[in-house]
Amino acid sequence: MTTFSYILRDTGRLLIRHWFLGLLTLLTTSVMVWILGLTTLFSLNVRHQLSRLESELVVQPYLKKGAEVEKVAEKIRAMPAVLSLKPLSPEDSLAKLQSRMGSQSRALSLMGTNPLPWNFEVRVRSAREVEPLVRTLMGMEEIDDVVYAGMVVQRVASLSRVTSRAAVVMFVIAILVTSLVVYNTIHISLYSRREEIAIMYLVGATRSYISTPFVLEGTFLALLGSLMAVGGIALAYLPGIRILQENLPFLSLLENPRVIGQFCLLLVGFGATLGWVCSCIVVMRFMSSTIRPD
Amino acid sequence: MKIKFSGVSKVFEPGIVALRDIHLQIDKGEFVYVVGATGSGKSTLLKLITREMIPTRGSVFVNDVNLRKMRAVDIPYYRRDVGLVAQDFRLIPHLTVFENVAFVMEAMAVPPRMVEYRASKVIEQVGLWRRRFMRPPQLSGGEQQRVAIARALANSPSLFVADEPTGNLDFRTAADVMKILLSINAAGVTVVMTTHNQYIVDSCRQRVIELSEGKLVRDEQLGRYTLDDNF
Repeated sequence: MTTFSYILRDTGRLLIRHWFLGLLTLLTTSVMVWILGLTTLFSLNVRHQLSRLESELVVQPYLKKGAEVEKVAEKIRAMPAVLSLKPLSPEDSLAKLQSRMGSQSRALSLMGTNPLPWNFEVRVRSAREVEPLVRTLMGMEEIDDVVYAGMVVQRVASLSRVTSRAAVVMFVIAILVTSLVVYNTIHISLYSRREEIAIMYLVGATRSYISTPFVLEGTFLALLGSLMAVGGIALAYLPGIRILQENLPFLSLLENPRVIGQFCLLLVGFGATLGWVCSCIVVMRFMSSTIRPD
Repeated sequence: MKIKFSGVSKVFEPGIVALRDIHLQIDKGEFVYVVGATGSGKSTLLKLITREMIPTRGSVFVNDVNLRKMRAVDIPYYRRDVGLVAQDFRLIPHLTVFENVAFVMEAMAVPPRMVEYRASKVIEQVGLWRRRFMRPPQLSGGEQQRVAIARALANSPSLFVADEPTGNLDFRTAADVMKILLSINAAGVTVVMTTHNQYIVDSCRQRVIELSEGKLVRDEQLGRYTLDDNF
């Protein structure tokens, strides 16, 4: 209990002693975690959009006249990229077309006989597999033509790849910058008290007793910085998606409070862990060089 | 605590020899003065005992434990049993007298009531009760010396190592400090102190170890301070 209260008192003393440096660390950590959070949220939203599009992704192969429907259906079903397959008879296809055309559907009756062939509604597992599947289907002699909405999905998929990479780059930058700032702050704290540390060690204080306040200082600054960043994300993200949904209602965005809350918790955990790890490293390095016997 | 130096030499870069082939044994409960001219190796001898330094050659044993082989995690626990008064006091400037004494016990997780009781007792013992809320820079050299002694006594050590504990003190305060050291020695604590104070050595006769240019030149029971002739 005595040790615990001493450690807390000493951590407070350290924070007050280098308050300006602490403030800079706090702001830097906060800005870095904020940018990281928003980049990741953007990337997650693009992925969310992509997965929604993928779930609606349909490739429609049209069969040549005289092709055996069941045999071709079995062949396509066996392909690994295929999630499900639904055969559509010429009558079903016509009915679907009529319902889609609405009031203009009467124009179809002018054609006389039904010109539509047998076709399939093939659902694909992921956007990446659309192109190869279409190529395979085109290569089948029973298939006359293939219709698919591939380009949009391809573009969203490539955007998803770019944003994922950006999030990873941001993650690395956030780790580097935050680590550097926390490392320097704690190093300055340690350096300013190097004589005191040597005295404490000389009179029997253990390494953990001496170093814990410094580790707590770094962890506390990073934790507080992350909490501020999470506050900033709440202020920027939630009104942002509201505006986007009003103007672009077809977009499906992440707005589940539970998911956002878990994401924020993860960010705070990330910040605090980073602060803790950096402080531990700098303290260990400093201690082993300061208290080494001559 | 029993201390044994076995063929100990300490050489500093570049080739400065502080101690040469010291063979020495100090038994539990002994009181030993280490005397010698400035630069003779007295402080180095004490630093080897507190394991602030490790010998270049030979070994230092405390209670038959080789300090060179002592694990880093065990050093703080060893030092808690060694009361140290350094020549430059080594006090923490932003802590009060009371806090400087108390934190040694806090580091050992001693209960707060016990910390208060022990710290108050040793501060009173060294005559600084009225100065307990002052910080080291507000104290005179002699008072700082006494704070260092109080801190060294706080943990009731088995070994008391003091580098010129009376060096900055006037005659009367030095005599008071000696009374304290003799009383803790009487309680069974081994005391090793370096000194230049001839009066103290000659009036409180104890074992005297004399160093000269890093060599042990005299080891005398109930000895005198006989460096006068060299000045």
